[in-house]
Amino acid sequence: MNQDKARILVVDDEQAIRRFLHVALTSQGYTAIDSSSGQEGISAAATSKPDAIVLDLGLPDMDGVEVIRLLREWTQIPIIVLSVRGSETDKIAALDAGADDYVTKPFGLPEFLARLRAALRRAAQPTSESLFEADDLKVDLARRLVTLSGKQVQLTPNEYDLLRCLVVHAGKVLTHRQILREVWGLSYEREFHMLHVNISNLRRKIESDRARPRYIVTESGVGYRLKTS
Amino acid sequence: MTKGLSTRIVRLSPWQGYVLSFGLVGLVTLLGLATHVFFDVTNIAMAYLLAVVVASALGGPGPSILACLFSVAILNFVFVPPIMSFGPPDTRYVFTLLVFLVVGMTTSSLTSRIRNQTEAAKRREHETATLYDLSRKLANSTRIDDMILSVVSSAKRMLGEEVIVFLPNPQDSEKPRIYTDKPNYMVSQLDVEGAVRLFRDDSISERALVPPYSGTRYLRLVSAQKTVGVMAVFSDARLADDQERLMEAFADLAAVYIERAQLAEDARDTEIVKAKEKLQTALLSSISHDLRTPLVSVIGVLSSLQEDKVGIDDATKNMAQVALEESERLNRLVSNLLSMSRIEAGATKILRQDSDVRDLIDSALEQLTRESSDRPINLSIPDEMPLINVDFGLIVQTLVNIMDNAFRYSPPGSPIDVNVKQIGGEVHIEVADRGIGIPQEDMARVFDKFYRAHNTNSVAGTGLGLSICKGIVEAHGGSVTAQNRPGGGSTLKIMLPVNRS
Repeated sequence: MNQDKARILVVDDEQAIRRFLHVALTSQGYTAIDSSSGQEGISAAATSKPDAIVLDLGLPDMDGVEVIRLLREWTQIPIIVLSVRGSETDKIAALDAGADDYVTKPFGLPEFLARLRAALRRAAQPTSESLFEADDLKVDLARRLVTLSGKQVQLTPNEYDLLRCLVVHAGKVLTHRQILREVWGLSYEREFHMLHVNISNLRRKIESDRARPRYIVTESGVGYRLKTS
Repeated sequence: MTKGLSTRIVRLSPWQGYVLSFGLVGLVTLLGLATHVFFDVTNIAMAYLLAVVVASALGGPGPSILACLFSVAILNFVFVPPIMSFGPPDTRYVFTLLVFLVVGMTTSSLTSRIRNQTEAAKRREHETATLYDLSRKLANSTRIDDMILSVVSSAKRMLGEEVIVFLPNPQDSEKPRIYTDKPNYMVSQLDVEGAVRLFRDDSISERALVPPYSGTRYLRLVSAQKTVGVMAVFSDARLADDQERLMEAFADLAAVYIERAQLAEDARDTEIVKAKEKLQTALLSSISHDLRTPLVSVIGVLSSLQEDKVGIDDATKNMAQVALEESERLNRLVSNLLSMSRIEAGATKILRQDSDVRDLIDSALEQLTRESSDRPINLSIPDEMPLINVDFGLIVQTLVNIMDNAFRYSPPGSPIDVNVKQIGGEVHIEVADRGIGIPQEDMARVFDKFYRAHNTNSVAGTGLGLSICKGIVEAHGGSVTAQNRPGGGSTLKIMLPVNRS
């Protein structure tokens, strides 16, 4: 698939935002398909076979999370959610329902396009490489080796599993619950405190400025994301 | 006895009763004189006894006793041998006369007792009927004014005295609402003051308000241990016991219905508040939507002009940069206004979740990336921190406001210290800068809405940020303080309970 010719379905009830995204997407070489309601979006997803969907959570006709659930019954195409600040629970519900990423309105266009590219890339290459590199951080999954500026970092098994989970989904936002489920198992999915402690320990070992994390980014009230360079 | 009470029992005035007694005894005497040749003395005595009974039934105890004594005297003088002599009667008749006296007296006392009981029963029945009628009227009216006026007019009719009801006035405690059924009745200032004192102080006795010889009587209208009003009866003489009782019955009834009406009014008010809140929320969400939608396109477009590959010169790019920063400021202002309204709408709008303090601070710093880019930020946070149950978005906004202030009111490049501590059941987050500090005279007011300290003229601001912080933190059961730092600058401290209070 040629990424530059990717087809993007935009589902938003606001005409102004549809127009803005249409211009932004076509200027980047994408083909934009517009749709103004949840129902319309779901049928457009089936008929026009887009490569990614940009979905506004506040639709007039149906709940955005429900739209994701219905889409996920038959397709795994990347879904990027548009949401407003202050509705963290909606974002978590959307991500848990299977959305790939979210952007908080208002958003910077470069950031939005970067998220879209990353989502398209992940969809194109579902199997991640065994070597992850970002700035000074190197994680070799095959050898279970973590180095920072060439120096090996000693991690506990829990910390390593946590980092591994983030590396496997590098660039993608993971909700607290998704991480807990994947690293510790289904019965631990409410142990938020344990997750925070491990993230804090991991950060102490790989982040130099604790006030400005470079690798493990906090996603406001939602979860964490491993930054890709 | 009971003025104003209309009874259906025939009741003669005392002198009418005595005249009746004389008349009856006289009539029997005449009949006796005409017929004593045919009848025995005992038969004539029976006729006298009938007169006594009639006198007692119509005239009451006094006339009947008089009729009895009078009858014995005439019997003795006219009919009992020795005839026409008051001397001791013939021994044959002594017993007859004595029995007559005893039977006459007993009959008169029994008759008057029955009379009194019948009268009392009728009166009670009438009172009950009036009270029942009143309570039906009260039950049918929903307006408190109509209810009280019904009570006043019924009480006035039953007691036969002027009745006034005072209700507390929520707007002006000195001027209670006055209910009387006389259109232009002037209530004296003294009476009004008496009622006001009874509302204010539950320990004042109602009797202490009026001199003992006065007929004026106050009565609290008490419902559920609360004085809901005062009833006053203005009478020239002291009220009789049964009037007191009646007045109390009216007072009890009035109190119950006043409370009922007030509860109904409260329920109506609650409904109005609910409708208002609903409207407010609808308005807010539409404003938030309408204000933010244009900002999404504006900020999106302006941010794309910052890209390196966009072919515009540096001057244009700088202008776009200014426009972007201002749009972001506008966006933050919209968020602040929305949060303010959410907080003022009530604590129910707080969506709590277990949150990591570290997470909260990271998210706030993330929103301030541009402002904090040239600043050393010294973050001190213990490894073991409990999760706090708060509204994530709102607390992040609080931290953004406080940190943004710290950046704006301190020189470029100066450090910001963020300290987190757990003290007892609270998490304390301190944000300290090396800026201009807060003048002592403004210290108490920096958290007031739209208030800005005197030394802030050079920095743009609305005076909303800190008041929103205070609103948000207090809605979480926490508190926020500001103080100057030794060595210059100020420290803002947020204290939040770990467990929701």
